[in-house]
Amino acid sequence: MKVSLNWVKQFTDIDLPVKELVDRIGRQLGAVEEVIDVGKRYHGIVVVRVVDCQKHASANKLTICLVDDGGVVKKIPRDSQGYVQIVCGAQNVKVGMLAAWIPPGSIVPSTQDKEPLTIESREIRQAISHGMLASPAELGFGNDHSGLLAIDEDIEVGSSFASTYRLDDYIIDIENKMFTHRPDLFGMLGVAREMAAISGGQFNSPGWYLNPTVPTHKPGEGSLVLQVKNELPNQAPRFCVVAIADVTVGPSPIWLQSYLMRIGVKPINSVVDVANFVMHETGQPLHVYDYDKLAGNTLIVRRSTAGETLKLLGDKVIKLDGHSIVIADRSGVIGLGGIMGGAKTEVDEQSRNIVLECANFDMNSIRRSAMNYGLFTDAATRFTKNPSPLQIINVIAKATEDILRIAGGRVASPLIDNYPTKQAGASSIKTTLEFINSRLGLDLTSKQMAQLLGRVEINCRVSGGSLVASVPFWRTDLAIAEDLSEEIGRLNGYDQIPARLPTRDLSPARPDTSWQFAQRIRELFSQCGASELLTYSFVDAKLIDSAGQDSKRAYHIRNSISPALQYYRLSILPSLLEKVHPNVKLGADEMILYELGSVHIKGIDDKDGLPQQLDRIGIVTAERSANKDSGAAYFRAKFLCDFLASQLGVGPVTYRPLSDSKKIMPAWRDSAGSFELSRSAEVLVGGKIAGLIGEPSTGLRQALKLPAFTAQLELDLSVWHELTADHLSYQPLGKYPALGFDLCLRSPTTATYASQEDFLHSHLSTETSKHGYSYRLRPISIYQSSQSSRHKQTTWHIDLWHEQRTLTSLEVNELVSQLAKAAQKKIGASVV
Amino acid sequence: MVYKNGEVARAAKQLKARLDKLENKASIRKAPELTALYERLKELPPKQRAEFGKQVNELKGEVEQWLQEAKKPKVDLRSIDVTAPFDVNAPAPKLLPVELSSRHPITTELTKILDIYGRMGFSSVASRELDDDYHMFGSLNFPPDHPARDDYDSFVTDEGLLAPAHTSTMQNRVLRAGKKALLAGQAIRVAIPGRVFRNEDVDASHEHTFYQLEGVYVDRGVNVGHLIATLQSFLEEYFSKKLEVKIQPFYFPFTEPSFEFTLSCPFCAKAGCNICGYSGWIELLGCGMIHPNVLTQANIDPKIYSGFAWGGGIDRLVMMKYGIEDIRHFHSGNLKFLRQFK
Repeated sequence: MKVSLNWVKQFTDIDLPVKELVDRIGRQLGAVEEVIDVGKRYHGIVVVRVVDCQKHASANKLTICLVDDGGVVKKIPRDSQGYVQIVCGAQNVKVGMLAAWIPPGSIVPSTQDKEPLTIESREIRQAISHGMLASPAELGFGNDHSGLLAIDEDIEVGSSFASTYRLDDYIIDIENKMFTHRPDLFGMLGVAREMAAISGGQFNSPGWYLNPTVPTHKPGEGSLVLQVKNELPNQAPRFCVVAIADVTVGPSPIWLQSYLMRIGVKPINSVVDVANFVMHETGQPLHVYDYDKLAGNTLIVRRSTAGETLKLLGDKVIKLDGHSIVIADRSGVIGLGGIMGGAKTEVDEQSRNIVLECANFDMNSIRRSAMNYGLFTDAATRFTKNPSPLQIINVIAKATEDILRIAGGRVASPLIDNYPTKQAGASSIKTTLEFINSRLGLDLTSKQMAQLLGRVEINCRVSGGSLVASVPFWRTDLAIAEDLSEEIGRLNGYDQIPARLPTRDLSPARPDTSWQFAQRIRELFSQCGASELLTYSFVDAKLIDSAGQDSKRAYHIRNSISPALQYYRLSILPSLLEKVHPNVKLGADEMILYELGSVHIKGIDDKDGLPQQLDRIGIVTAERSANKDSGAAYFRAKFLCDFLASQLGVGPVTYRPLSDSKKIMPAWRDSAGSFELSRSAEVLVGGKIAGLIGEPSTGLRQALKLPAFTAQLELDLSVWHELTADHLSYQPLGKYPALGFDLCLRSPTTATYASQEDFLHSHLSTETSKHGYSYRLRPISIYQSSQSSRHKQTTWHIDLWHEQRTLTSLEVNELVSQLAKAAQKKIGASVV
Repeated sequence: MVYKNGEVARAAKQLKARLDKLENKASIRKAPELTALYERLKELPPKQRAEFGKQVNELKGEVEQWLQEAKKPKVDLRSIDVTAPFDVNAPAPKLLPVELSSRHPITTELTKILDIYGRMGFSSVASRELDDDYHMFGSLNFPPDHPARDDYDSFVTDEGLLAPAHTSTMQNRVLRAGKKALLAGQAIRVAIPGRVFRNEDVDASHEHTFYQLEGVYVDRGVNVGHLIATLQSFLEEYFSKKLEVKIQPFYFPFTEPSFEFTLSCPFCAKAGCNICGYSGWIELLGCGMIHPNVLTQANIDPKIYSGFAWGGGIDRLVMMKYGIEDIRHFHSGNLKFLRQFK
């Protein structure tokens, strides 16, 4: 919202220096984005009278002028009468006119923002020119370069041009977002009220705003027939129009153009400019139609029909949907209600009779249409803040009066006020002194509160501890006591509120065990040389496809501006795998990447019927320079998984070969798609699936250019959290030494390691408990000779000890020989 | 392929050996063995030339096949024993050197922040990544189609679910969850960290995915002064120094009044630096007194209870702290970036 300080000063006196004012606006009204010193642009430019014009002897388009500046410009060559010579190329220059002179040393205002052009005295075809007389465009008034800006007011020569048209102004740009709930602050009047209040003063609205003189039509002078048909009483709750006859439409007076131009509004013509001026003054948009272009003398408010077209002002044609608010005449749509008028009924310099409209439209419909057609006009911005219907008459009266004053004409119809459901007049809010003070942490008296509210014309009745505030008709944002607390706190200054910590009992805050568990996981990863990544929650269709997943199971984002963000991910792994190759390219040779994140799968909902957030740990390991001798990458992932399990006391963990990914439970089906079945497994704890582990599928390897040595692991964070032991188990330290020995078992290659391990545990635990021994078992190597593909040899190390005495080697040998026999019998393995 | 000509057969063998060692495989096409064969071809009498040329061509074809093969990732797809601790004939697997470890700076910062709030008596609950309109807007006093929604460029799924654009999406849940304790006389005090999303173009200072931390405090008699003191106390602990703070008016539909919380720049002590844009102040958080409609939506009586809520971005904080120049680094997965953070 661009606020002109001079415009504001039309309504209230503000004596604060600009810097202090801007500071207070930030503290008490809203964030200021920018402050522009407009006056600086016009520095040195003065109003002069042209006293003599002579054709240039050698250039017939040039005129040699003498101007009278009243002698205000110093150090400039003058003739005997004190006039200054200027060569001028404009055709409209004539003796007696007042013009703006840019003397040597001053800058052409329109060049200020680009490459500032400083004017100097110079010779133009043998005639010296001391500076230049400026065109509207050079002075920043539109694009007109064709002639001089002819000053249209009776000004004393030598006056500053800036002060003549109140260009000695500051534009204070306040963030629109601050005013989302304040339609009154989209007009200078409303901002003036606030500025008065925060400067410590009392604001008084002008008479025309509080007590309007309703435009009246004298039937004797000839009328224009005008009808309104409102088919949308809910979307257009108030629709008010009046016809004005015999206007003279032309360029606006320069003072009016100057107001609009300073806040970035382009002047069009006198009638349109007044409508815009009043909108920027009150925050209430207005529209003008050319009465004579209106078919059937009727304005119809209705819903658009899908497929209808409308040529807007500026000649852009839009195709309408089936639910926009439009204004139509008897021939068809002539405007997009509350957003932009149509070209057909545009008011131009030929227009004689006009219709002025001042209405309310439903903010939500306006917002939808503005977004739908991409038309974010000043009017739409204001209507989406829902300005008060109670100011309609006041605003149309002011606009009518201004049009009559500036463009002439007369009121030619009764004021038609279509207001089907009259809104209750001024409402009031009842609250207590205690409530306001307890919300703000202040100790104000009721008199202080009433005084603060009074500054912005919120009148209060105070009795005892209660306070009744009458809501002014322009304050659509005030409805409840909390709203008043904001007003009082803000106007009193938030910096007046003492900061005090709240007091509470000593009960301990409940810890976030999920976060604590995640932290524990991160600490464990930090012992593994792993790097924590955060990747997007979204993936594109291509990645879903390469990962063997079904995009129908993923939540699809329908409005993403980026093609890369199409779906919620179904597994964390593809997002991590995607980061491997770029890192290899950047020179990383080995990596363990992990992410704690969540996935969402259609059909898996939580108890509230919302998509369940499945919390996962994704882990990927890759090594560019690994070779055949390193073994399969799978085993590094498994080592990591076993490491986590042992550290957390989760277990026993078992691994079951991943068979058909379609048979796996739904929560894991999508992750399973990214694995190579022959080299992957389900991670089971207590028979429950706790994750998947393995190597990526060939499709993913190719799509993501993964090194041969790449493995991945995805774990269910919540399951692991549940299974994590409160504390690990402890074995008392034995007094007697253990005897250790290696055992090598030769078994068919088809026999799994697990079957051998299960056998050893079951045998050893039975045998040792029989004799009161204890044991420890660990694998050493798995060997397969290149000559034999049918057998492999697994070497184990076994430690044996007794809690009460030292074992003899005889006892150990006995145990080994029993073991050998049992191995042969139970699992067909022979001791080597 | 078997080559009858001994010369070609020898060259084939040498080429194969050479290919295995080559870094740039395609350069095999210019290998001396091939060049020699071409030279030889020219010297041969026309009678032998045809047969020799045919074999050289075949070899060239085979070399091309090798190149095709070399492009494919060399993947060993033999079935493995997934129950084993290590591969056949392979050493026991190892993890990576600990010095390669790194922790993401955003989670590290969140942990630090949650620790402080924890010490101040706040529990914490993680935010959601997919939520419904009610939690994201409806329960937070945003009427349907309200223009205030425009400030939250949300991702929407086909089902009309939303990628939350703020952690406030959890407010209704934590208020409901805390109601029982509230009635028993204990304040609701929760910190909510989470990943949030805005449908925005990405550049050095804008991300569609970022992190926020929300805080909620509700009790009897909670006022604006409590809000200021709580956040000031947190920030002074976080930055380990005394700070000046101020609140400025702002607008959120779910707080009334709403504020922007500003602190004196902790990096330059208000002297002006590039972090605070030479203003001496940093606007860090949005906050306010929880709107009575938001409390009502959680069945908490706003006549008896009041509270405050705040929310702020974590990414910017981390960027300021370390002088990180580009927000895109956070989700880049680039180890050169990540391994700097331990």
